[in-house]
Amino acid sequence: MPRLLALGIESTAHTFGVGVVDSDGRILSDVKKTYIPERGGIHPREAAQSHARNAVNAVREALADAGVKIEDIDLIAFSQGPGMGPCLRTGATVARTLSLSLGKPLVGVNHAVAHVEVGKLVTGCRDPLILYVAGGNTLITCLVERRYRVLGETLDIAAGNCLDHFGIMAGIGPMPSAERLAQSGREVRPLPYKVKGMDVSFSGLLTAAEKLLRDGAPLEDVCLSITETVYSMLTEVVERALAYTGKNSLLVVGGLARSRRLSEMLGSMCSDRGVSMYVVPPDLAGDNGPMIAWTGILQYLNGQTLTVEESVVKPRMRIDEVEVGWRG
Amino acid sequence: MERLDFEEGEVLRVGAESVIKAVRWRGLELVRKHRIPKKYRRPEIDERIRRSRTIHEAKTIVTLSENGVPVPLLIFLDIAGSSIYMQRIVGVEMRDYLVDGVDFSGAAYELGRITGLTHSLKISHGDLTLSNILVAENGKMWLIDFGLSLFNATLEDLAVDLHLLGRSLESTHPSLHRRFMEMFMSGYSEVAGSAQLSKIMEKVAEIRRRGRYVVRAGT
Ligand SMILES: Nc1ncnc2c1ncn2[C@@H]1O[C@H](COP(=O)(O)OP(=O)(O)OP(=O)(O)O)[C@@H](O)[C@H]1O
Ligand SMILES: [Mg+2]
Repeated sequence: MPRLLALGIESTAHTFGVGVVDSDGRILSDVKKTYIPERGGIHPREAAQSHARNAVNAVREALADAGVKIEDIDLIAFSQGPGMGPCLRTGATVARTLSLSLGKPLVGVNHAVAHVEVGKLVTGCRDPLILYVAGGNTLITCLVERRYRVLGETLDIAAGNCLDHFGIMAGIGPMPSAERLAQSGREVRPLPYKVKGMDVSFSGLLTAAEKLLRDGAPLEDVCLSITETVYSMLTEVVERALAYTGKNSLLVVGGLARSRRLSEMLGSMCSDRGVSMYVVPPDLAGDNGPMIAWTGILQYLNGQTLTVEESVVKPRMRIDEVEVGWRG
Repeated sequence: MERLDFEEGEVLRVGAESVIKAVRWRGLELVRKHRIPKKYRRPEIDERIRRSRTIHEAKTIVTLSENGVPVPLLIFLDIAGSSIYMQRIVGVEMRDYLVDGVDFSGAAYELGRITGLTHSLKISHGDLTLSNILVAENGKMWLIDFGLSLFNATLEDLAVDLHLLGRSLESTHPSLHRRFMEMFMSGYSEVAGSAQLSKIMEKVAEIRRRGRYVVRAGT
């Protein structure tokens, strides 16, 4: 089979990412343009406008970095969901335009599947249990009968979102601020620890942490308490899922895969259980174009392309909507 | 108090939170469920969680036994040792019982009934997955593992049980999921009534719509 080249466009939230990847799994370029809100959290419409302004340059840079011409690209992949509607639509529009003008196939990629697939690609792990933890997602999943099945997830807000929101509220900004300050924390205060089966719930904990701070607890202590509690809960549900499925490897993907402390806890639990742990490297942990391009190649080879009419974005797309026809 | 002369035997299972060991006591076959310390967690958090779950599990087992829900009999609670000694159930976990071709409709119906009974006491299980349901050789079913259960459970807590059970089936036995839940629901509504069942299913649907992709806008 001749080598294929894919251009992948990621635009679910803060990051507009473009990457070029080949069918041997080589990442040829990885360009990221990140929207940083002036204050507070993300404003979807502003983010989408920022993505639209950056799009042309990001595509150009990604091609130049990869040393390829636009005509050499065999397929265009984009993140179809889940994510913020306005941001997704910007990426989809760019992808459709490229696909139509070049006459190249269009592939719609599930953002969560892409995080998992790029993690498998670069760590080389096989048939793992997967923890996907990020700003907008908290998910435990594994491949069963050709779909990524959800074993556990958040019942309200995502782990990253909880820590980001706390940081913004406390005036220190989003992650990794809370984790950095936690290092000088001294006392762990009790916070709601809500695990239900393999699901977690963080909203009560966030409210309680904010209250602790208002009541005068030292910021470092609250940072320590919130990070330790969130990571303990995550490690516990992953251990539950490992016990339940009997898997002997764990893959950690998503923005929070960069957290040193979370990896340390998961690593300690895994070594006690005799499970091997794989963590996606930091540059591919957050949202990025290469993961979309790589998953686009897998789907393309599996015959999963879209017509323009089918390419509407799906802000609430589920990971188990995608049929996985490639190897585990 | 007279010393309890438990004779500890082999390890039967290593669960996610605990080690289950066979124990003999005065001719009775028991198990000890020991919630072991977790090294990954700070001791302040770890001790609080293990202690409260151990106490909680014991309370729930007692309440459910008294109300006719099939759970192992509680024999002894050792809070300092974060251990529960209880009746040993000889059976298989529902997850392993559901092999290809098994006729599960009776089991699903019965599980629906005992879940309905538990819920009618305003108690939620909190971890209703296929590994926390034991099926004995004679087909009798037992509920275990109540560390995450709640008294005075809200409609949401009860709905989470059905959500967890459904997802546990979907994730490991996708092809059985629908039929199993249908039979489960008919058993459940026999005990809890069909009005309660539809209320709870509405809540389950709501839970499933939530949490999918939530980003809060800035403060
Ligand atoms: N009373 C009992 N009699 C026989 N077997 C039991 C009993 N209690 C538990 N077991 C076995 O041990 C396993 C683990 O027990 P339990 O679910 O209570 O512990 P756990 O550590 O909370 O498990 P997990 O968190 O992995 O669900 C059960 O799935 C079952 O196979
Ligand atoms: Mg259990």
